[in-house]
Order: sequence, then structure tokens, then C-alpha cells
Amino acid sequence: MAVDERSLWEKIADKLRSRSLWMLHYCTGCGAMELPPTMTSRFDMERFGMGPMATPRQADILFITGYLSAKTLRRVIYTYEKMAEPRYVIGFGSCTLNGGIYYDSYATINRLDYYIPVDLYIAGCMPRPEALLEAFNELMRMIRRGEANGWKKYKENYEWYKQNQIRSLGEVFVHDEFHE
Amino acid sequence: MMNSMSNTVEKLKRIVNNLDITKVDEREIKLELPNEQVLPTLLALKEDGYSHLSLITAVDWIDEGKFELVYILYSWDNGGKFLITTKINRDTPKFVTVKHMWPIARYYERELHEFFGIKFEGNNDMRPLFLEMWDDMPPLRKDFDPFEYSKRKFPDREYQKDVIHEAKIIRGDIDG
Ligand code: SF4
Repeated sequence: MAVDERSLWEKIADKLRSRSLWMLHYCTGCGAMELPPTMTSRFDMERFGMGPMATPRQADILFITGYLSAKTLRRVIYTYEKMAEPRYVIGFGSCTLNGGIYYDSYATINRLDYYIPVDLYIAGCMPRPEALLEAFNELMRMIRRGEANGWKKYKENYEWYKQNQIRSLGEVFVHDEFHE
Repeated sequence: MMNSMSNTVEKLKRIVNNLDITKVDEREIKLELPNEQVLPTLLALKEDGYSHLSLITAVDWIDEGKFELVYILYSWDNGGKFLITTKINRDTPKFVTVKHMWPIARYYERELHEFFGIKFEGNNDMRPLFLEMWDDMPPLRKDFDPFEYSKRKFPDREYQKDVIHEAKIIRGDIDG
């Protein structure tokens, strides 16, 4: 079956899904600052049926705000792989797009979709809450139209993603002296 | 300079001869010392109330071939700060640990080993602290090229220039 072919049941499910999205934010970047106004009363993301979620197991969206260092990218890959399908990824800010102002840093990656599939990017440093809401609505439209297929791409091109992850990280496994 | 700080400086003058004092501001004094006088000075300051080790860090003076170690001591009694600095050889960077005086120093020393390659005698725990699986020279040395490393390790997006599209925007055919 091609990536974007859906049965009738899946079309209905997608329609319902797009109305109730739970979001896990990986807020290591400075742009995370724009989330509180988006969530709280001024812009009120919840009127779109979106809510914050604390664990990857129950989240639909992985929201990455800004730069990821090699160290945090390892944790992000863990988190992404823990999420139940269907799962969507939003890259927020120029740092996820092309490295942003950290393009020449030895510690941060330059391009998120090289390691995990990104359904939607929000450009800007940092994007305002209006841009976020626009992006959320766009993602909902994409889900309804069956275009948010990052998670399927990940399954199909697993080898390619893994090889890129290994190239930049050496090893994806997390060693942590404080927990081992 | 605050009174209490000048008292401390007077006391230090008795231990260290030819003290090189720079007044950074009202509550901050920098002392440049030869290697062997760093530990006695730190000890004297600690006894005099400057007991909070805020930071150990280093500066890379690559043209001189030296690393400058900087110890920052803070006093909770009067809010004064002492910067104790000393220069060590850049090619075989080595100093002595102060972890017996401030247990927290072992983390700063690990960090300095990780980012500058400086070793500390008496502190054998030199596991990496922040970086994971680092595979190049210590990254805060001035001869390390972060851009080159980034290009090698973290591929960038390739942009294609659409000249026709841009020309249309300039001519006003489409709204840029
Ligand atoms: S895109 Fe800008 S605001 Fe976002 S993480 Fe990068 S530097 Fe910070």
C-alpha cells in the first residue's frame, strides 16, 4: 500500500484524531518561551482540542522547540520511538530547520529531518504564538487530508534514518552516569 | 575597594610577595599569581570568609602558549569577590586539584579537562561531563574549528536558488 492511501475507516479516524491532539514538548530551545502564551488564556490552544501531555506514550505530537545538541537529540530519538503511532513532529524555529544562529556550533545539529521525520516546520527565531496557531491548524488540515505521514516514512526509511543518527551521534544508546 | 576587602588584601600581602592586584570594581578584585602561590592564597581567602567557590574556569591565550586558570571566590558576608588567576603551560596543561578544599571543584576540574584538556593532579576522575562520545580535540581550545566540525558531523540543508522566482518578485509579478 502506498504511503498516502487510506481506507475509509482510517479517513474517519484521521478526522477525529485531528480534533484531539495531545502534545509533548521538548523544550530545550529558547523558543519554548512562546508556548506559555499559546497555551494560556490569551491565545488558548485548547479551543482547538489541543492539550499538553506529560508522557510520550500518550502524546500525538512531538513538539521540538529550537536547537538540539547531540546529547539531547539522543533523548529525542528515544522519545520519538516511544510514542504510539500515529505520531507527528513539529520543528519549531530556525534552529530545527537549518541550525539557525547555532549553525556553526560543535554541539548542535543543523537539520532535524535528517534524524527523525518532521511533518511541519515553523520558521522564525522565534516564531510568535500566531504562527504556532497557524501551524497547528495546518497540521490538523494535513492530518485530515492524510498528508502528515512522517511516522510512515520513518518506518519505511528506518535504515536511512538510523544510519544518519549513527553518523552524527556515533551511538544512539544513552549512557548516563547519574542513572547507571 | 570595600574596607573588609582591603583588610583581606593586607593579610594576603603577608603571605605572597609582589602581589599583582587589579581592582575590577567596588566588590571585585583580581589577583594574578605564580603557580605555587595559588593554593596558599585560596586557603587564606577561604579562612577569611571567601568560602564560596563560584567557578573554576580557564582562558586560552594561544599566542602566549598559556592557559590562564581562574578561580572565583565569593563571600556571603560582604558580597565581595576574588578572582585568583594563574598561567600554566598550554602544551602540557597540568595543575593541582582543590577538591579537598571544595568538593564541588571536582566537577569544575572535570569540565576543564573536557573542554580544555587540562589535567589536575590528585583528581583522577576525568570522565566526560557534558559532551557525549566526543571524538576531537577539546572544543574550547582556540585552535579548534567548530564550523569545520559541525560541517563534518551535522550535515546541513542544501538550498537551491530559484533565480526565476526571485526575478519575478523583483519585477513585481508576484508578491514576495
Ligand atoms: S530558532 Fe532562535 S529562538 Fe529558536 S532555539 Fe534557535 S536561537 Fe532560540
